[in-house]
Amino acid sequence: MPELKPILLVEDNPKDIELTLAALEQSQLANEVVVVRDGAEALDFLYRRGEHASRNTSDPAVVLLDLKLPKVDGLEVLEKVKADAILRHTPVVMLTSSREESDVVRSYELGVNAFVVKPVGFREFFDAIQDLGVFWAILNEPPPRNGGQ
Amino acid sequence: MNAGTTMPDLDLTACEQELIHIPGSIQPHGFLLSIRLPDTAVIHASANAASILGLEPDAVLGRTLMEVLPELAADLDADLRDMNPKGGSHYLRTVALDRSTGRRSFDVAVHRSGGYAVLELEEVNGAAASLDALNPNLRQFVEQLGGTSTTESLCRLAAADVRRLTGFDRVLVYRFDENWNGTVIAEDRNENLPSYLDLRFPASDIPAQARELYRRNRLRIIPNADYIPVPIQSHDPAPLDLSDSLLRSVSPVHLEYMRNMGTMASMSISILRDGELWGLISCHSKEPRRVPLQVRNACDFLTQIFSLQLEARENTALAEKRIRLRSVQARLLGYMAAEEFFIDGLVNHPAELMHLVGAEGVAIVSGDFCWILGQTPSEQHIRKLAAWLSQHHPEDLFATDALSALYPDARDYIDRASGLLSISISKVRASYVIWFRPEVVQTVKWGGDPSKSVRAEAGAPRLHPRRSFEIWKETVLGRSLPWDVSEIEAAGELRNAAVGIVLRRAEELAALSDELRRSNKELEAFSYSVSHDLRAPFRHIVGYSELLKKHEGSTLSERGLRYVDTIIESALTAGTLVDNLLSFSQMGRTTLKPRLFDASQMVREVKHSLAMEIGDRKVRWNIADLPAATADPLLIRLVFENLMSNAVKYTRPRDEARIDVGSYRKNGEIVFFVRDNGVGFDMTYVDKLFGVFQRLHRMEDFEGTGIGLANVRRIVERHGGRTWAEGAIDKGATFSFSLPDIEGAA
Repeated sequence: MPELKPILLVEDNPKDIELTLAALEQSQLANEVVVVRDGAEALDFLYRRGEHASRNTSDPAVVLLDLKLPKVDGLEVLEKVKADAILRHTPVVMLTSSREESDVVRSYELGVNAFVVKPVGFREFFDAIQDLGVFWAILNEPPPRNGGQ
Repeated sequence: MNAGTTMPDLDLTACEQELIHIPGSIQPHGFLLSIRLPDTAVIHASANAASILGLEPDAVLGRTLMEVLPELAADLDADLRDMNPKGGSHYLRTVALDRSTGRRSFDVAVHRSGGYAVLELEEVNGAAASLDALNPNLRQFVEQLGGTSTTESLCRLAAADVRRLTGFDRVLVYRFDENWNGTVIAEDRNENLPSYLDLRFPASDIPAQARELYRRNRLRIIPNADYIPVPIQSHDPAPLDLSDSLLRSVSPVHLEYMRNMGTMASMSISILRDGELWGLISCHSKEPRRVPLQVRNACDFLTQIFSLQLEARENTALAEKRIRLRSVQARLLGYMAAEEFFIDGLVNHPAELMHLVGAEGVAIVSGDFCWILGQTPSEQHIRKLAAWLSQHHPEDLFATDALSALYPDARDYIDRASGLLSISISKVRASYVIWFRPEVVQTVKWGGDPSKSVRAEAGAPRLHPRRSFEIWKETVLGRSLPWDVSEIEAAGELRNAAVGIVLRRAEELAALSDELRRSNKELEAFSYSVSHDLRAPFRHIVGYSELLKKHEGSTLSERGLRYVDTIIESALTAGTLVDNLLSFSQMGRTTLKPRLFDASQMVREVKHSLAMEIGDRKVRWNIADLPAATADPLLIRLVFENLMSNAVKYTRPRDEARIDVGSYRKNGEIVFFVRDNGVGFDMTYVDKLFGVFQRLHRMEDFEGTGIGLANVRRIVERHGGRTWAEGAIDKGATFSFSLPDIEGAA
């Protein structure tokens, strides 16, 4: 069994972090969940630099990316990831508070893998997070990477 | 154009081709010498000069002035120095010539013609009327001027005074109209000659080149119509220009005209206004009559004073009228500026609108709009007239007092609209204000049938003036009173003001739409952040409450659990409200993508989608055949979804719900409606129905956030349509919306 890749959760709101973690916990995924609090840190993690220069985890199975983030916002992170020859294979799921059309359009233009509006209802929220986690962490076979790690 | 008058078609322009300024001869009541400057050699001389001067016939031409007329030569240098080269002829002095033939006195006048000074000498018979002797007459005239109040009395006074000074049998004041026909407006006479008062004379009586001479040379005299012209002799083949000459011989046609009129002597003085010929003071005598140069000069002087007075009178009258019209105009401007559509300002004050130009009827035409008041043609005729105006008279302002002569269709309504004055307010929308004046039937008394006759004389056709000056009456039809300068100006100024208002409105609109765009942007930013930032706390409330229930649910009492459920439910409702608010704001911002769609098909689909909501309730649908319409189908689908699901919702208490969906076309719109037999509503609150978050029912009776109908209204209004509702409590409701009928109109 291959090493389980972590799930990267990029979210600045502690309450959303807690609720998201609770939802993922319920799905009983074995994947580690790495939480970073802003877009800049997300990029540091992905590029193994700064605080995350010496991380020994694999690249994430999926990035759950909030749209509104301090420093570097979600769309910018998405743009960088999808423009990078290696990172662009990493699935990115955009999580957002609203169904604002321009955000959806822009995200798909940038190559987002899924776009999820966080439902107000907790049960729906749980279901959505669990589905995402399960789909991207377990079911989805990522394309082979040129680097061959 | 002399519209209503029927003039015989005869070419009378032959007179206009005669070169009357170089006749080559003078009248015999004086003699003429032209001298070359500066050597004073005589270049032209009338054939009678030599004998009067007591010289041999060949002893004049080529001699110096000193040799032929030493009495004048001595001071000539000084005389010529003072002379204005463009001033026309002027009196120099009176000289006495002592010759072998005796001692004779002559009045001398001089003028310039090309490189020559032209001297004209007229013999003074008996006691010369000196300027001193004429002074009391002139002073009396000037004093009496102050007492006259009207143009007519002023003209009568001038006629009487000229006759007193000159002794002519009849003196007329003759005024030109815009077509150069002349009308006698004042007369002073004795019994020797008939009255010509009120008679009109055709323009051809005084041809164009004669009028031009009259403008330059203000006074002409013919002492005897039977005179024998005296030729001008010269070694120079080029003719001498006699435009400014006093003795100039006149056209034989004119002499024949005089004889036909029974007048053997005539004099006329030009009345000029602003340098243009306004009229003439025309004097006639049955017998030959000479008027000394001094008296003629006095008459000219008198006429100039008269002209100035006339001008002052008419200007004052015009200025007074202008002031009156200005105040009417100012009121109209106020009305126009106060209205949202300036035309309403005119329509609501028709009396002043007509008073502005003294019209009996008025119409305002703008696109499909046509408003008429007073004596006007029918609306149908006015629409055709407006079309004719926009094609043939694109000028900003157009006026005529004989419309039917230009526009034959107008013959059908000459009684109401012989006079037309129109202003064009907008070229884009073909907007006009058109004023009308009724026909005024006039009888014109022509001084003889206004045609000259061509008689063959000795084989060669020659133009003769008419022989009879018997009054020839003519009825002029299809003419209104003319529009005067002040009225035309008032109309023009109203136009400028209206155009100004239109422009200002356009600017205001542009500014307003800028403002709107800006506030829309703000609203967009606002709703974006609301939907993001407000949604999160609700999500957290729901999330933590759920976690509380899950982890601590076993320790909570039943009441505690109910409280938690209520918290969850309230937060969910709040979240839905936020979502709806966002969708409402998006509805106003998304770009419309209109296309032709099948409304019947759409309504059937919506009906199917409501199946779950209906469940096992009994609903009888009655869906009519609906037309295809052009609009954004996704948005119109939302409208039908809202209205039909409302109908399903509010018929819930009915054992059998009845829902009708239908449509009709009316006034360029397609109207769709959804009618139900549900709980209805109180019409008192109908205005609230379409407001955001407005609800007329209690939440426990009918769920909903109150955003649906607000969305409906917003979508429909963005398509240029309207929304409305009718209903009564417990009697059902009908919700209608309209879309512009693009298909029906095509």
